[in-house]
This record gives sequence, C-alpha cells and structure tokens, in this order.
Amino acid sequence: MSVSRLAPIERSARAALPRADLLRGYQTMLLIREMEQQLVAYYLQHKVFSFVHFSIGQEAVAAGVCNALQPRDAAMGNHRSHGHYLAKGGDPFRMVAEMLGRRSGCCGGKGGSMHMVDRSVNFLGSTPILGSIVPIATGAALAAKLRKLDAVTAVFFGDGASEEGVVYESVNFAAKFALPVLYVLENNLYAVKTKLLDRRSPDHDPERVFTGLGARYVRADGNDYVDVHTKTAAALVDVRRGAPTVVECVTFRHMAHSAPLLDDAAGYRDVDPPDERLRQDAVRNLRAVLARDPESEREIAALEAAIAEQCRDAIERASREPYPDPASLLRDVHA
Amino acid sequence: MPRSLSFTEAIRESTLQCMEADARVFVIGLGCSYPNGADGTTQGLGTLFPERVIDTPVSEAALTGAGVGAAISGMRPIVVHGRVEFALLAIDQIVTQAANWNYMFGGGNPVPITIRIAVGRQWGNGPQHTQALYGLFGSVPGLKVVIASSPRVAKGLLASAVTDGNPVVFLEPRWLYATREDVPPEPYRQDLSRAVVVREGSDVTLVTYGDGVVEGHRAARRLQERGIGVEIVDLVSLHPVDHGTIAASVRKTGRLLTFDTTHGSFCIGSEIIAKVAQHAFDALRAAPVSISCPDVPVPTSTALTEAFYPTRVDIVERVLALVGAPPIAREALSFEELHLAPKYDFSAHG
Repeated sequence: MSVSRLAPIERSARAALPRADLLRGYQTMLLIREMEQQLVAYYLQHKVFSFVHFSIGQEAVAAGVCNALQPRDAAMGNHRSHGHYLAKGGDPFRMVAEMLGRRSGCCGGKGGSMHMVDRSVNFLGSTPILGSIVPIATGAALAAKLRKLDAVTAVFFGDGASEEGVVYESVNFAAKFALPVLYVLENNLYAVKTKLLDRRSPDHDPERVFTGLGARYVRADGNDYVDVHTKTAAALVDVRRGAPTVVECVTFRHMAHSAPLLDDAAGYRDVDPPDERLRQDAVRNLRAVLARDPESEREIAALEAAIAEQCRDAIERASREPYPDPASLLRDVHA
Repeated sequence: MPRSLSFTEAIRESTLQCMEADARVFVIGLGCSYPNGADGTTQGLGTLFPERVIDTPVSEAALTGAGVGAAISGMRPIVVHGRVEFALLAIDQIVTQAANWNYMFGGGNPVPITIRIAVGRQWGNGPQHTQALYGLFGSVPGLKVVIASSPRVAKGLLASAVTDGNPVVFLEPRWLYATREDVPPEPYRQDLSRAVVVREGSDVTLVTYGDGVVEGHRAARRLQERGIGVEIVDLVSLHPVDHGTIAASVRKTGRLLTFDTTHGSFCIGSEIIAKVAQHAFDALRAAPVSISCPDVPVPTSTALTEAFYPTRVDIVERVLALVGAPPIAREALSFEELHLAPKYDFSAHG
C-alpha cells in the first residue's frame, strides 16, 4: 500500500483464534453488513431522511474491537457508528427505528443515524463532529479510574478526526493520568474524498506521534477480523492497567462518505478500487476461512439466514412504529 | 451565624461542602491545585481531596470533554475556566456536546456538569481577557446559565448547579471577586431559574445581573435621595430568563431599564425588552431604556475603558429622564471607582 507510506502491517495468524471466536466474529460482521445492505433501499426511498455513513467494508474494526471488550466496558463512536453500536450489542430494532425517525428509536427520533446510544450495553453514545467524542471517552475512562471500576472505554474515530487538535490533547491527558482508554483510529484512507497524502506530509508517522505523547500504539489490518481482534485483546490487558493505547486499523470504506452508494466514478480512490476491496473484504475472507471445513457450510448458511431474518424483522417492525408525538419536541431538553 | 465572606471565599466554601457531601464531585481545571487555587476559589481543596482536584494539561477542549465524559459516567465534575476566552477553546464540548446530549439521545442521558467561567472586566486586561459574552451562552438551549451577583448568591447557586443533574454554566464576574457579604456557614441552595427582586421600588424596574447589580444598588440609593424608587431585578439566570418576575415588576412600576456590562447588540437587555414588549406592552408608560457597552471589542487603556463601561452615573441619568425628572449635575467618579474592582460589602448596605 503506497497511500501514505503506511508501514507494512504484521498480521496475526488466523490460527491464533479458536473456531468459536471466528464464528462469533463472522456473525458480528455479517449483522452489520446485512443490516446496512438491507437499509440501502430505505435510504434511496428517502425513508431514512438524513445522512447515512455506512461502514460496509469496515466491519472488522467494530467487530474485532467490541468482541474483545467485556460487557462492563464502554464504547463510544462517531458519525459512522451503526457497526460500533451493533458490535457492542446495541438493539438492532431501536437503531433502525432511530434511523427511520420513529418514537421507539434509541434517541426517540431526536438523534438519527449519527447518534447511536444504548446504555444497557454500555454503548454510551456517538457524536458526529469530528474528534468531539474522543475527550468525552477519555472522561468516561477518568470516571472509571476515580470510581475504581475495572472498566475500559473504547472510542472509535476516523483518520479525518485524527487531524483534530482535541485528539492529541486527549491522548496526552490520558497518558498523563494513566487512563484505561482504547483509542481506535479507524483509518479508511479518505476524509470524505480527500486522500491521506493531500492532508499530511509523506513523513507523517502516527506511531511516533502517539508514542511520543506517552501512549502505546499498535497498527492492525482493519480488513482482517483476526488481526484487529487479536491485537486489541492483547492491548486491552495493559489498557486495563492504565496504559492508554491507540490501535490504528487501516481499512476500506466501500461506499461513499455519507450515502450508501458506490462512488468509484468520483475518481478519488487510488489504492482501493472495487476488485481490491473485494479481495481484501473481511466478511468474505473470514467466511472462506470458516468454510474450509466442508461440514460447516450448512452451519454458516443457517447463520446467514438467521441474520438476514433478524435484520428484516428489525426493519419491518421499526417501519411499523409510530412517529414521535410532536409534544415530545419540548421534552428532555433537561434531565 | 453568617460571617462575612468574599465572593471567591463563598465559591470555595460551596465547592468544599459539595465535595464533602458527595464523593462524585470533583474539580478539574488549570491551576486549581495552586496555593491560591483559581483565584482562591479552590484554595486548599487539593490537600483535602487529592484525587478529586485535578490540575490538567493546558488543553481546554480535552479537560472540558473529560468533564462531559465523567458526568455521563457517574461523576459530578466542576470544570473551571479562569477566563471565558479559554472556555471558547472548548465551545464544541459546551455548546454542541454537553448542551445537546440529553435531548439528542432522547432523554435519560443526563450530563451533571458545572462549568465555572470567569467573565468580564478586570483592570486593563483588554480584548482577549475580559469579554463577557453573556448572550452567547444565554442563547443555547440545553444549558442552564446562571450568574451570581454577590457572595451569598454565588454560594447557593454553585451548590444548586453541582446538584442539578444538567449542564450548568456558572458565570463569575471577576469584577465581584473582592466584594463581601454575610454568608450562612451551612450549605444551602438558590433556585437556578428564578430572578430575585433585590430592592423594591415603585417608579422604575431596573433589570440587571452579575456586576450590574452593584451599580444598580449604588444608583438606586442616589435616586432615592431624589424621591425616585428603583426596583432592582437580579436576573440570576440568563437561561432560562425568568420573564414572569420581570413582567410582574414592570406591571408595578410601568417603566423598564436594562443594564448590561457588555455589548449592546444581542445583549441580555435586548432579550428582556423584547419579551416585555411582547407580553407586558400595556404596562409600559414609556419606551424601555437599555444601557450597555458600545459594539466594539473591549479596550485596554483606562481612557478607553472609562468610555466603554457604563456606570451608576449613567443609570441615574437615564432613570431621571425616564421618569421625567429634571437632570442633575453628572457625578464625577474617582479613578478607583472607575477602574478598580469594588470592595463592596452587600451586608453593610442592606
């Protein structure tokens, strides 16, 4: 990969994970992908009446990280957080209902696609202003430390957000106070349509930046579930002991920035054309690994059918939900 | 028995009592561990609560965001910004994150954070250290915005802010830091959303807040000598504004004067006058009057700040005109009165 002198990634061996873990990873990734794919039609029909930032292609990051977290650990996200929310265990029905602007949405229709929250599974919220969630997650980790809880906070943000100053303020803050926070830098190579090299020097080196601040830094192949999961699980051991860590996951976003459409014709992609995205596709590749055992095809097919049905059910139920009562407009300004 | 405390001592005492009462309360901000801690407002607290007084890197956005994150995770942070200009470096966290949080997540997501911000005039510190920006904070739904006018008010409001359960912007006029008042030693709270009639009068309603209240008292005493009764409404809350208390006073006096120590455009007084015009127009016997600063950045030289900030002399002059009384000779204020923070004692003046 020549995009920005990205250092080569030393991948974890697939054999490092037991089959049950691989299956769980496939299940989580497929839920994210299937849900978003089924939602495309709703966007095109203007039933999802807002931006949607799909994470198709990036599922290994959400799934690999969240499957390494404990239920008591927290996660937070950004504008592209359907996957983070679902991977942490967020309710699919309430997510879709929110995207469709319905009363039973996870924000009662006040947030929409860019505001995912499900506190019952410790997904504490996602905020779309770039970098804004990073200090908040740092504060959640500060609270855990002050309350002497054994809980990590993982926060997802993109390569674009990583150019916001508050990210560096936050990492410095976390390093100074030894906070249990995992910074997941989801590098999909483009800020909207702007390439990495159009935004930074060819000598830009995030490893030196973050380790220079006193944090740890790990680079993972964000197109490979096993690599993300294995490296995250290893990093979390020290994160729990107060060693804040940045895991940079280099991954491919298949769709356009904020619409579920392929935008290769726009001409900005230099290293991730459709055939390359397909070749490195985490969902397809993990399925291939699982399917090496001919006995397992039926098991995988059953899983896929179940997930497709789960998504259809969530979307159909959400579509039948009522819209919010207009009187709720004035409610909940304050707690 | 109440004892005389300065404004900063009252803030410190309230903070200490909040920390004693609730282990979730912590203080975070630049310099809050210094021996004179944030102008004395956090003095000694770090010794009493070493884990709960967090002096931070010079990173306003991160420390404010950390406060937001801690607040949604079971803590009750008091974030301290020594000047409003530094709070502006964290405006995303205050305005876009904290203020929206509970609403945009559909309720059930409280952000119990208190954001202390020192504002306003101070000797010779000019355009980037003495802005007020009351209207900016007042215009944001989701924030509760209060401003204390005296030590006693500061202590009660801060306790209410910390225990409220919502983001509260607690504005502190530096100009009042050396003022004194008899303050009860026990913890108490003051309503975050209610204006208070701090002086009764029958001829004119003066609506002001923060450091304007001192000027109002001084002007009102002078006018009383002329037989003119000024009723002073201390707003206390800039969001929400307690329009009911204002309207009731205007219905009593028939005349309205607002006094802001900030720029006239989009100032708090403009908001007051607009609402009175809409809801109590019939009670007005004369056009409302607004006293405020000119729409220029805050200057530095005393020759310019003297022309910039309105004083009690302006209030006296405009009230006389408002009630149709003959003008009196314009009182000359001393350098100390014009340019040094008042050591006013609210208890001594009743």
